[in-house]
Amino acid sequence: MIELSKVSKIVPSGSESLTILHALDLTIPAGQFVSVVGPSGSGKSTLLGLIAGLDAPTAGEIRIDGQTITGMDEDRLAALRGAKIGFVFQSFHLIPSLTALENVLIPMEIANRPDASVRARRLLDDVDLSARAHHYPSQLSGGERQRVAIARAFANAPSILLADEPTGNLDSRNGRHVFDLMVAMNRKHGTTLVLVTHDHELASRADRLIALKDGRVISDSGQAPQQMSAEETAVGAARP
Amino acid sequence: MRFIFQMARREIRSAWRRLLFFFLCIGIGVGSIVALRSTIQNLNIAVAGEARQLLTADVQIDTGRPWSADTIRTIDRIARPPRVEARVETVEAATMVRPAEAAHEGAMMIELKGIEPPFPLFGALTLASGDRFDYSLLADDGAVVAPLLLERLRLNMGDRIKIGERVFTIRGTLGSEPGGGGFRLGPRVFIERAALERAGLTEFGSRARRRILLRVQAGAAESLARELRAALKNSFVNVRTYKDSQESLSEQFSRAENYLSLAGLVVLVLGGIGIASVTRVFIEQKKKTIAILKCLGGTGRRITGVYLAQIIALGLAGSVLGIALAKLALLVTEKYFSASLPPAMTYALQPGAVAQGIGLGLLISVLFSALPLLRIRHIKPNMLLRDETSEGRGWTDILRWATGGLALLGLLLLVSWQAGSLRVGFFFLAGLAITAGGLYLAARLLIFIVRRARHISSFPLRQAINNLYRPGNQTTVIVMGVGLGAFLVIAVQTLQSNLIREFDRTRGGGLPNMFLIDIQPDQEAGVKELIEKATGERPVLVPTVRARIAAVNGREMGADQGEMRRERGRLGREFVVTYRPHLESNETIIAGQFWDPTPSSEAEVSIEEGLRGAAGLDLGSTITFDILGRRLTARVTSIRRVDWRNSRTGFMILFRPGVLESAPQTLIGAINGPTGALEKSRFQRALLDQYPNISVIDVEEIVRVFEKIVNNVTLAVSFIGGFVFLSGALILIGSIAMTKFQRIYEAAILKTLGARRKVLLAILFAEYGLLGTAAGLVGSMAAAGLSYAVARFVLNIPWSLTPAHYLAGIAATALLVTAVGALSSLDVISRKPLAVLRSQ
Repeated sequence: MIELSKVSKIVPSGSESLTILHALDLTIPAGQFVSVVGPSGSGKSTLLGLIAGLDAPTAGEIRIDGQTITGMDEDRLAALRGAKIGFVFQSFHLIPSLTALENVLIPMEIANRPDASVRARRLLDDVDLSARAHHYPSQLSGGERQRVAIARAFANAPSILLADEPTGNLDSRNGRHVFDLMVAMNRKHGTTLVLVTHDHELASRADRLIALKDGRVISDSGQAPQQMSAEETAVGAARP
Repeated sequence: MRFIFQMARREIRSAWRRLLFFFLCIGIGVGSIVALRSTIQNLNIAVAGEARQLLTADVQIDTGRPWSADTIRTIDRIARPPRVEARVETVEAATMVRPAEAAHEGAMMIELKGIEPPFPLFGALTLASGDRFDYSLLADDGAVVAPLLLERLRLNMGDRIKIGERVFTIRGTLGSEPGGGGFRLGPRVFIERAALERAGLTEFGSRARRRILLRVQAGAAESLARELRAALKNSFVNVRTYKDSQESLSEQFSRAENYLSLAGLVVLVLGGIGIASVTRVFIEQKKKTIAILKCLGGTGRRITGVYLAQIIALGLAGSVLGIALAKLALLVTEKYFSASLPPAMTYALQPGAVAQGIGLGLLISVLFSALPLLRIRHIKPNMLLRDETSEGRGWTDILRWATGGLALLGLLLLVSWQAGSLRVGFFFLAGLAITAGGLYLAARLLIFIVRRARHISSFPLRQAINNLYRPGNQTTVIVMGVGLGAFLVIAVQTLQSNLIREFDRTRGGGLPNMFLIDIQPDQEAGVKELIEKATGERPVLVPTVRARIAAVNGREMGADQGEMRRERGRLGREFVVTYRPHLESNETIIAGQFWDPTPSSEAEVSIEEGLRGAAGLDLGSTITFDILGRRLTARVTSIRRVDWRNSRTGFMILFRPGVLESAPQTLIGAINGPTGALEKSRFQRALLDQYPNISVIDVEEIVRVFEKIVNNVTLAVSFIGGFVFLSGALILIGSIAMTKFQRIYEAAILKTLGARRKVLLAILFAEYGLLGTAAGLVGSMAAAGLSYAVARFVLNIPWSLTPAHYLAGIAATALLVTAVGALSSLDVISRKPLAVLRSQ
């Protein structure tokens, strides 16, 4: 379960400060598939980064499975990510000097898992890349790279999977394939999935859809509607 | 730990090409240290192991005077069988030799040695033919001579030569002698000891050195030497054992080893600077990987561990490479230089030197990469989501300061360990820091000035200047590293030229080209006449008396304790003194008052300023001299400064006329003799035919020896300077390799925008040309500073700017840097732009 209470993020911008997220309350129950949509600069990626502990909020508190992560030091945050959170990025972020298999192995080796090698092969098999295990990222296509990234994200069987525009750098066919795979693996492992996307069609397949604008939640299908603007109504109308 | 090792292994697999340079830096530094240390240790083992052969005795008693009956009685009493197993006496004298046949031209100085069986007590005397020496060769005035004598005087076996007043027949040529080697005034000639005494060369005034050599029972050398020393305390006799010479040799060798290792350490420290810069760029390039690892759960400490493990692995591999290089250097030494090294010397790597090399390689790797590795802490995983750079706390980062301090302390301990002294280590490091700091500032200044010129119209030049400032540029480090190498090479070259020119100037300044010594007083008129006939000018012959200082202010030099013992080095030798009523033009009084020209029966001396302070010696002190057994006490009434450079003759101690006239004396003369080789040898021959006891020292011979020494030292230092330069070039290659990705990308953009390959090439040449010129300029400026300081304050010779050296140095540096830089970047130009732009 992910809980955010009064979480805000303000960054300095020149001589002034810029509020990226306004005090935000959000609860995502375990196992839920949530899509976060919104225009560029609305705070989607920041929200994801805060949940993953990649960045610290300016105010408020974030709890993962009941554990408060706000104020944790870098090393404890890293350990928490290793154990509970998987991440898929828009630009894949594979380590270029490692093969596909080694990229999948890394989180398990960091966590000292004894079955790392067997499990890494099985995960690659799950994303249909067994044959490409010993290829380097530069030798893989964009879709293949993202599938390796998904296999890596599931390496330590995290309870939460965070995906930041995972299909943003892919063509529609590859994008769909990657998305289907991610959702299938999510269902298979029963993880909580938070997906940031621009693609309303993909977003609409989630259990719950949250729309952000200028650092505020303007709609959340998982809660009673608050104030609905024309735009929000449009977003809501896009849902099936 | 498993993760750290696995990850480090994988990272090295992909990055080894970029880190190859790191590996080479360590390799060359470690190689030079291990090779230097091993060679000197091998030399020490070979030479110290032969200490008995060097001394040709277990115990040696020697003196510069004829043995007195008393001394011989004392030696006979103490050095007796069964403790002493064998005893032999030798006499050595530097003297002149000439062919006996009047028609055969030439004369030269030799080092004559009179021997008798069973010499040598240790080692073997061999002939050039390889046969063993036999005393029958010396019987009936036979001589065994060094091949050089035959060559110089164009003599053959069986020819006859004249030494002193006796004629000797050449019966053999010398191969090797035990204890041979070292500086000599002329080639060695062996004759029988009795024949040497008969030749009239050991009469008064000669500088013959007599030795009694003893072979003693095992373990008896030290106690025997102690007894002899005690009994012969005040008789101007030295007693030493082979162990004394072994110890002093070992001490000199280990000092030489430590100092030379410091030269190797300069290379290694420069390599360390290169390592620091490579690590910095490497971590910069690995930022994304580090952020991903942090995102996947890696803690800062474990990730730092991954990169530290890589550094250690590379440091170790570099050290192993260094050891291989050292082995190669030893093989080369054996192949090309074994002829001039002791035959017993081995060319193995010494385990101690190897262990030190590995230790140093690892420590330098870790010390110099520590600070750049700390940057890992500041890399935030958030950079994967947004492209922002997170910088550390900089000045307020306590860990950074602590690590820097620890690294510096570690380096100080390392250098002190190598130098064998904390003091030397401190000064070495401080000197290196000041030099590096000076070069760094000069480099910054130069780059600042160049930057002013970036608005010039030439596109390639403007682009090249901009490249020197690209983010993550290594400009300052390259200028500093290459500049340091250029600095050492240029400084040594200019010092050499200053030194040799000064020597030439001294020679050309109407100073003498020959010294005549050992002229007996009754030969004065004849010698003067002969010289006047040959040179046209009447020479001044100066009377000299040989004296030892027996006491200062009533305190005996023989005393075995305290100050007098310490001062023995300065005052314990034999002084050649003279007397005259006036000062020479190159002398000035700096304290006291010079005497009236009238003779006085009260003994007065004037001492050279260098003696002031030795054993409390000053104006008003009294010195008791021992002149051939007679004691004479004189008061110091003045202190002189002597300009040795403008001296025909110079004396440390000068007497007022009135007391020394009756002392046994010989005369010396400095003359401007004939200059041509043939005329010179004819003159010497004529002099010797008439006065066979006189020795002629040819200044040109000495200058030749001096020039050879200067040239050898220059070569040795330039060689080390060359290594430093090589390290600088490696820093250059390394930094090019590290920033290549950026260059390739820029070149691709320029190509896309229409730049032709010619333009890109011009940018490349302009950039490295600028870098090289800056490094050469910085090196030259520092070299001018150093050579000025050394010339003026250490060598005391005038300094002059030699523009040719500096210009050549700058040009060579610029050319080398341009060549290295352009060659290692050529593929930047040949890459196809589309592929490059796609991969970004």
